[in-house]
Amino acid sequence: MIFVEAGTLSVRSFDAQLIFALKLRKRGFDVCIDATYFPEDAGRGRHYEAATLLADTEELVAEAVFILGAEEVDDRLLASLRQKQLGTDVPVIATGRFSTQQSYISAKSRLAFALGREATVIDLSDLQPRSISPSAISPLVTETRPITRPIGELANVTVVLGSLELDDSETLSCLSRMSNQGSYGFKLVVSGAQNEFLKASKFNDLPRVLYTDLSPLTLANSTDILAMFGHGIAGDRMAELALEVIAAGGVVIDCTEDEVLISSGAPALLGPKTLFALDGYLIGKIIGNTPHIADQTRKSPWLRTVDISRLETAAGLRAKPRPPKRTSPRTLFLPTNGVGLGHAQRCTVIAKALPKHMSPVFAAFPSCVPMVRREGIDCIPLVARSDVNDSSNANDILTYRRLNAALQEGDRFVFDGGYVFDSVNRVIRERRLSAVWIRRGLWPKGRSRHTVLRREGIFDRVIVPSEAFEELNDAYSYGEQVHNIGPIFRQVEQSPEDSENLRTRLAEKFDHDFKLLIVSMLGGGVASDRSAQLQAISGMLECRADCLHLVVTWPGSAVQAAAFGWKNTKVVHTLEATKLCLAADLVISAAGYNSVHEILYHKIPAILIPQSAPYLDDQERRARALSDRNLCSTITEAEFMKLERTVQVCLDDGGAEDFRTTLQQIELPESGVSAAAEIIATSWKNG
Amino acid sequence: MAVAAELRVATEFADLVVHARTSKMFGSGQHVAPVLQRVLDELRIPMVWDAPRICADFVILHNPSFLKFQNSLSAEIYAQEIVVVTHENFLRPGGEEGFDVSNCLDQIDLSTLALRKTLAPISAYNRETVTGWLSKFRKGRHWNVLEDDWFNIFFSDKDEPCEKPEDRRGRHSRPGFEKFPSVADLDLCFPKHAKANVILGANALMDTDIVRSHWTLFPFDAISLEDFFEMIDFFVYFTAPTWRESFGRVIAEAIAAGKVVLTDPETAKTFGNAVIPCSPGDVDRIISDLISSPNRYRKKVAEAQPLLERYSGQKFKERLGAILTADREALT
Repeated sequence: MIFVEAGTLSVRSFDAQLIFALKLRKRGFDVCIDATYFPEDAGRGRHYEAATLLADTEELVAEAVFILGAEEVDDRLLASLRQKQLGTDVPVIATGRFSTQQSYISAKSRLAFALGREATVIDLSDLQPRSISPSAISPLVTETRPITRPIGELANVTVVLGSLELDDSETLSCLSRMSNQGSYGFKLVVSGAQNEFLKASKFNDLPRVLYTDLSPLTLANSTDILAMFGHGIAGDRMAELALEVIAAGGVVIDCTEDEVLISSGAPALLGPKTLFALDGYLIGKIIGNTPHIADQTRKSPWLRTVDISRLETAAGLRAKPRPPKRTSPRTLFLPTNGVGLGHAQRCTVIAKALPKHMSPVFAAFPSCVPMVRREGIDCIPLVARSDVNDSSNANDILTYRRLNAALQEGDRFVFDGGYVFDSVNRVIRERRLSAVWIRRGLWPKGRSRHTVLRREGIFDRVIVPSEAFEELNDAYSYGEQVHNIGPIFRQVEQSPEDSENLRTRLAEKFDHDFKLLIVSMLGGGVASDRSAQLQAISGMLECRADCLHLVVTWPGSAVQAAAFGWKNTKVVHTLEATKLCLAADLVISAAGYNSVHEILYHKIPAILIPQSAPYLDDQERRARALSDRNLCSTITEAEFMKLERTVQVCLDDGGAEDFRTTLQQIELPESGVSAAAEIIATSWKNG
Repeated sequence: MAVAAELRVATEFADLVVHARTSKMFGSGQHVAPVLQRVLDELRIPMVWDAPRICADFVILHNPSFLKFQNSLSAEIYAQEIVVVTHENFLRPGGEEGFDVSNCLDQIDLSTLALRKTLAPISAYNRETVTGWLSKFRKGRHWNVLEDDWFNIFFSDKDEPCEKPEDRRGRHSRPGFEKFPSVADLDLCFPKHAKANVILGANALMDTDIVRSHWTLFPFDAISLEDFFEMIDFFVYFTAPTWRESFGRVIAEAIAAGKVVLTDPETAKTFGNAVIPCSPGDVDRIISDLISSPNRYRKKVAEAQPLLERYSGQKFKERLGAILTADREALT
């Protein structure tokens, strides 16, 4: 294990450690950073970057130690080196940019005092006489690995605004025009302040990432052309980004006021110093000429000065490219854990429809794991969000770690959920996965389209399972990657005899003979509290001796104690709710996507009581679409009298049969399961 | 302290002026050590801060490393001879530079017009580092090296050794990392079975939680040296192997306090037979032997203390006199 240390504790030092450690890992080395380096004010992005690197080094054996920022070596580092009691065969390499010979000697001496032997101290000013960032703590070295350009169908342009002021509305308009250019992809890299400014402006939809959202390496992976503005370079991370783009054969355009990249000798192009001229410059001079520019870049002697292998040689280390863990690609589904298990259930339906050779696996939250495994699919358990953790995204960091461990470049990743977690965003970008997003529609009023869709671009394919009725199918995004397909739901085969047998078993199990079977599926109260409705239904059915009322929930869902106090009402936790519904005379259900489509396609008479929450789809609109066609009855949460009347009509006055008749007659779109499976099976980046 | 003692001797030979310099090493403050100030006041020696020009027959410049964080001495020196007393070792064990010697000597060189420029090592080991540096870096070869050591004057009352020594060990130093050996060596020097392990100047150990239940740790200056020496019978002193004392005042103090001193062979060179050269692995055995033979313990101390006489003011006077007179004839 290589320990990456820093001369001092600071966010800047930690950034340098993170970036350098990731580079070493990419070169095939096992690396770690001692957890004590993690700064209190690390910010969201660094939590993820650090998640796979932090370790309690006391438990590990050092193969080598790299010390960054050795211009200043504090006593904490010296003490930790002394405590490590490193063997004499463990190389210790320190890097710094020493302004004087004395500062070099001081660093070397202090390290030697702590180690009891000499460290190899490398003055980066010697390696890089004209660094693009002379004050950088990071060694600013990398692997030269030109890749075919452009990365995608269009060249991706990344613009770093640096110290550029955004208060001029013309500037924002200009950026907006560029982001809508059809000739290239476009994104901004902004500071926190710039991001806040953009959020508050009319240009909130400008595609952008923060400096610390992604590692420079990951950002470079999605950049063909990088334009840097402002005065100087906007910090070590942006210097690293420029370096990575150059080393990967991309084009870097120096638009800085002080021409900082050009003056360092880096193979960059001198670009316009104003944003207004950038679009013309890109279209006229750069797009279309990128292969030629990359050829020139490759010949630059400057690349030699940033070659990471020189540091490795100094450390006596030899890069050992790791072969992939697996030779065959994997398809991994990640269903989010919504109110119920709908996302997971949808994913299992699609997964089972995939060609046999694909053998998909799941990563799922605890509530979904049994259901997935019950379908015979391997499942990596994730950790659910909890209020116990200090950080709201603590569980997502674990998800990131587990996805990172499970996936490798070339794998396919299927995400089903409304909000694209940071873990999902990162792992797709970092592992360059072929990614599919299953994203339902029917968003509630007021949901920000920009917020939901801002990460849509990371997916190669977007599968939109449609609603059964056309008026519910709002379009939220367009493009070749968006595939609108038929509804996806679980289809259960159950003959009338099977249903009759099930009713007999229920009567035996509950020791309760019945003629009428009513199933209520109103959720566990996470999104909307339906305990009052459940009590009302249980109460009105209590006087019917020939009735069995089942309160059906997913295993693990909470059920209020009051539900257990009725003679005719029984609580059932099951993953086979559809079978019970098929055997029922009436179903009273929430109007979630899965429930409604299962009711609809299985022709089950139902009363729908929509739930509502900001994170749910528009259940009432969905329910109304059915009831307007006399396929069910819709009862809102306050309509208790109507609920009682409707139940009575359904049970006593043939209402349920009327619904059944209409359901038999309605023409419904074809299921989208096969189409979804086909899209996933052919969603290779190069396929 | 050593410079203050030197002034008492030197004033017998000539009129003295002390020139003090502000230095980046010490920041912008102008501070004079109390012990030095007392001697200056007592002997009525004038002291001048940051004189732009220094003229004298002999200019003695103590410790050139004070220039290591700057590029210019900012003074002109005119003298028959400038003697630069090299308190800090030029090289560390292994041959790495102890500080940017070239930069410091260049500043002095460029500022000085003198018939002779001399480096004056303060001990045998210090001399090795000076000559070693000169042979490694050609640009310093015009500097002469004084044949005899410009030793630190050491004077102290001599305490009798104890009648019956016990396994009470200790060490005293400033708290820097360079002053301490590896943790493994510290464990060898100060083991659990010792009756006492007293470490004075243990700030770094305490700050970084390198502690043992059988160690008694004190920060630097937390107790007086008298109290410290009351607590021990053996002074066990090892440093980081990558650093070495140029003189080793703490060792001289321990000898004067009537303690047996154990240290590494290189550091021991300065003190000849007055200390026991050894490695940390030998410490237990040596201490055990001496505890079992109190007479040998007392004999060791009795033999050691007279050797401190070589660092007396009288000896220094003889040496300084020889230097000044011999050189004066040669240079005039």
